[in-house]
Amino acid sequence: MKMLLVTDWGWSEMLWVALISICLVFIVLALLVFIMKLFGFVFTRQQAAAARTAAAPITTGQLHEEEIAAIVAALALFKAEMHDRESEVLTIQSIKRAYSPWNSKIHGLTRVPDKK
Amino acid sequence: MGTLSVASSNFVGESIQKFVESTGLVGFFGAMGWTNIVMIGVAFFLLYLAIRHKFEPLLLFTIAFGMLLTNLPGANLYHAELFAEGHVHWGNFVAQAGLLDYLYLGVKLGIYPCLIFVGVGAMTDFGPLIANPKSFLLGAAAQIGIFITFLGAFALGFTPEQAGSIGIIGGADGPTAIYLTSKLAPELLGPIAVAAYSYMALVPVIQPPIMKMLTTKKERAIKMKTLRPVSKLERILFPIIIAVIISLLLPSAAPLIGCLMLGNLMKECGVVDRLSKTVQNELMNIVVIFLGLTVGATATAEAFFNGRTLGILVLGVLAFGIGTASGVLLAKLMNLFVKDGQKINPLIGASGVSAVPMAARVAQTVGQQENPSNFLLMHAMGPNVAGVVGSAVAAGILLSFLG
Repeated sequence: MKMLLVTDWGWSEMLWVALISICLVFIVLALLVFIMKLFGFVFTRQQAAAARTAAAPITTGQLHEEEIAAIVAALALFKAEMHDRESEVLTIQSIKRAYSPWNSKIHGLTRVPDKK
Repeated sequence: MGTLSVASSNFVGESIQKFVESTGLVGFFGAMGWTNIVMIGVAFFLLYLAIRHKFEPLLLFTIAFGMLLTNLPGANLYHAELFAEGHVHWGNFVAQAGLLDYLYLGVKLGIYPCLIFVGVGAMTDFGPLIANPKSFLLGAAAQIGIFITFLGAFALGFTPEQAGSIGIIGGADGPTAIYLTSKLAPELLGPIAVAAYSYMALVPVIQPPIMKMLTTKKERAIKMKTLRPVSKLERILFPIIIAVIISLLLPSAAPLIGCLMLGNLMKECGVVDRLSKTVQNELMNIVVIFLGLTVGATATAEAFFNGRTLGILVLGVLAFGIGTASGVLLAKLMNLFVKDGQKINPLIGASGVSAVPMAARVAQTVGQQENPSNFLLMHAMGPNVAGVVGSAVAAGILLSFLG
């Protein structure tokens, strides 16, 4: 939509358009500053309220959510440690080979004849 | 036998003559052939700047190549006459149009700049602006250059529409400049796009002397308060609010601002990662290729070789300079009304001339020259992205008055 219907542009029209345009840019962006300030005010208040709630004194016998989370995490870690923890040292203790004449060294080697 | 030999030699001669006449080389020897040679030289120079010195290479490279293709006689890739008098001549479009004519429709119909803005939005972090909304005012101040240049261009004999298109170079925002020029003065698209992108690449050269001239050492060394953290909900609501408010106040700015905020919401909401990555990479890259080539194609010898092009180049740099100075001066003015701990470093005012993130980097570099432990980058990003919004608003206003 065209704001102006000027057919013969002269200096006075040009100056007015420039001036109005500059003012409009400032007005629109100043409005955005105002809205964003308001926006920021609401959100910073919410954040401050959340911080205050977090810092509020806890009555005896009640546990804070973060404490419960910490205890649960500690228990979980403890149980995880208990679960078939291995020595992490791998050593070959011994090897047993079942005897068979087919793999017997004595039978496999060429026997040197006894010289008596 | 003799007759046959003469006839065949004539046939061969005519064939060779026809072939030679069909080549583009003949075009160089025509009446205005030398202008094509000069334009090809300009294209080579821009290619050199983009490849060797990395001056805005993504766009300058494609613009330069488009300029090269359009100035090769006989290639018939682009026909300015199909878009003469500000509208598309559909009647003979299919019969005459070359490849770049088809691609140029995206510029002519205002599609590419808006698609680029979707990508820009998806790559922009508005956090510093949300944390410090006063930055909007610095973004507004930097647009003053647009309107002073608008008057300057009129004084040099340009029409009001052309003057508005030239003034928008001062917004330092390529897609906005292309969008507005394609609507108001399409005949100047080539020189204006080349001037806008060249000056954006030259921000580190143009801005520092002006910034130093207008500030004292003490002002340049000002350390600013750390910005508050911005929650995810604020980041999600910001693009929605801005799109609604600006589109309602300035419907002519809705295509640009709407697309910018659409891209930003894609990034911030976190549920359409695939779309966000696509607009940041694939879509953006494809559109940059089409936009650059076709804008370069409009830089024909006839469009470039006149006194107006030189005027546009001079006015463009003037617009940049005035925008930079206005931002710095407004920051200084704002400092008169705030307490000592909350002072603004005036250097960040210069970042109001869009050119994201180059202008913010310049503020950081100049600030660190005075105080190496001063980190202004995040503070400068506020006015920098506010400048993008500001230049789109300014374009919308000019379009409302002159479109």
